[in-house]
Amino acid sequence: MLKNLCQKMFGRSLWVYHANSGGCNGCDIEVLNVLTPYYDVERFGIKLVGSPRHADVMLCQGPAMRATAQALKRAYDAMPAPKLVFAIGSCACGGGIWFDSYPVLGPVEKVVPVNFYIPGCPPRPEAIIYGVAVAVGLVDKKTAPVKFKQIELPIPRYHPNDLIGRDELVVYEKVEKV
Amino acid sequence: MKTLLSILGGLANVAIVLLVAPFFQGVLRKITALIQSRQGPPIWQPYFDLLKLLGKEDIESGESPLMQRFAVYLSLATVLTVACLVPMGFTAPMNAAGDVILLIYLLTLCGICTLLAGLAAGSTYSLLGASREMMTMIALEPLFAVAIVVGAVHTQSFRLDTVLNGSVYASAAFPWSGVIMFGVMLLSFQAFVQRVPFDISEAETEIMEGPLMEYSGPKLALFKYAQMAKLVIYSALFVTLFVPWGTGLMFPLGWLVFWAKVTGLVLLVTLVAATHARYRIDQAIRYFAALLAVALVALVLASYGY
Amino acid sequence: MSVLSKLKETLVCLKAGRVTLPYPAQAQPVPEKFRGRPLFDAAKCTGCGGCANNCPAREILLFDLCQEIRILQYLGRRCAYCGRCADVCPEKAITMSHEFETGTNSIGDIQQRVELFMSTCQRCGRCFKEPSALEQLKLKGYRVDDVAHERWVFRSKSYLDTEPVVDDIKIEMD
Repeated sequence: MLKNLCQKMFGRSLWVYHANSGGCNGCDIEVLNVLTPYYDVERFGIKLVGSPRHADVMLCQGPAMRATAQALKRAYDAMPAPKLVFAIGSCACGGGIWFDSYPVLGPVEKVVPVNFYIPGCPPRPEAIIYGVAVAVGLVDKKTAPVKFKQIELPIPRYHPNDLIGRDELVVYEKVEKV
Repeated sequence: MKTLLSILGGLANVAIVLLVAPFFQGVLRKITALIQSRQGPPIWQPYFDLLKLLGKEDIESGESPLMQRFAVYLSLATVLTVACLVPMGFTAPMNAAGDVILLIYLLTLCGICTLLAGLAAGSTYSLLGASREMMTMIALEPLFAVAIVVGAVHTQSFRLDTVLNGSVYASAAFPWSGVIMFGVMLLSFQAFVQRVPFDISEAETEIMEGPLMEYSGPKLALFKYAQMAKLVIYSALFVTLFVPWGTGLMFPLGWLVFWAKVTGLVLLVTLVAATHARYRIDQAIRYFAALLAVALVALVLASYGY
Repeated sequence: MSVLSKLKETLVCLKAGRVTLPYPAQAQPVPEKFRGRPLFDAAKCTGCGGCANNCPAREILLFDLCQEIRILQYLGRRCAYCGRCADVCPEKAITMSHEFETGTNSIGDIQQRVELFMSTCQRCGRCFKEPSALEQLKLKGYRVDDVAHERWVFRSKSYLDTEPVVDDIKIEMD
């Protein structure tokens, strides 16, 4: 019974550890903005802690670099279960614009398993709060893959056999909507 | 029969402290948020925090896991033992079990538990936090001891129920020593409850939470609980020593007045904590040394009967 | 550092009241030129590939199934929301919308895929594929980015293979 209660309380008080593994600090500033009075996120019970052993959630930003990949993995291993990893910003989600640069290994998911992605460059503080709310289960997510297939083709097809000459004009005999 | 009643009373004290401590911490966080112009966490937030921490995995790391476990259990146990001895609106039920010297040593033991925790972890930041805690304790515990001893000198006894009842004002002439000690304790109260501007040793972002760095899950919950309980217990001690007026009333009224005073003290702590920055360790030691000199002057005055 | 200055500070902060924006309850309006998620309008797209050529993160992939069907895939993982694709598009088929609430638990949710029918030449109207991938690349305008592995294929010196074009740097992680 106590275990159920503890698991239910998990979403009400998330302690966050902020790990920047080589980003440009743009997403850093947005994460810090989220903790300030304007977009206050402490009203959801989220607190910034200084040690990964105290934390539930690791906010990763910046791509995984050669120099910091090992440190990131160690910080992830130091967190006690149950744990979540949020990848914040385009660099952490997919490597960012620097994906083929020499020190960049790739997105953060090459080093630690990621649970939630919050893309943006940098994501607005409201986007970060929205992502956290999706993770906790307060709201539904608003994105889904989009596919468009052109079934109605707008352009008629011309075939050379259907071009007939008529009084010095070349006229298309039959219009075929494909 | 009497011992059974006193044991039950002591357990009741412990239960009160356990229930009420996170509530005061929640009030503190909410009022800090209000002063910082934002909507803070709900008042019940520390209860959620403690429950969540109890549900996490327990990773034992650091130099000696055995000492880590020992430090945690000792910390909460010491604080709850002090809770048995402190009067909370009515005289402490177990005050025949010890005297004032026991109280002073138990309070020092609370500080030593942080040292044990820091040394057990063994990492650089923990050792740094432990050394700062040592320096703070050396300068700080004598202040409280002098306050209690002034009371003991005035009432000529070491019994808990006589000393912890506003005894610092009990001298024959105008109680100069009592007033001086009131001022000194008020100025240094933040350090006892480990709040800004004096929370140098632990729970700060400068040294990554200091001695508590390697704790996770249930042990961290116990440590945080001990810190919250220390706030309540030190406030209760301060109120019974220095602001005793009104506790002699009938049962419900005296009890309510006591808790109102404790809440007022917690509000004062919050106000000071929300508007100040943290002191460096050398600035803090100089501050406490000056206060200690004043406290010793008060002790000399007390021995002369003032 | 006197007590009075601290009290004055407290009063100033209390007078400001509560400045927290009630974000999940009420949404704040975004600035007008805000660049959120790009939305691809397939009705206007002609499949020119300008957006793909100009994306600095190489997030837009083009794949020609045959001479007449071109698949354009926007994977949103690395998109930096710079807006170059919207600037370059000649038909103004890409708009940088004001949507920013894109947190999700699977990164494939952000992709948009458009399959277009490209009109053929009036004279030759070719509709068969060249035999080998190299011949396909030699045809002008043909694009065969590797959609399965989600990688751009650089035209000049690369060939379609299972090996990645740019080597991943191996590093020991223990």
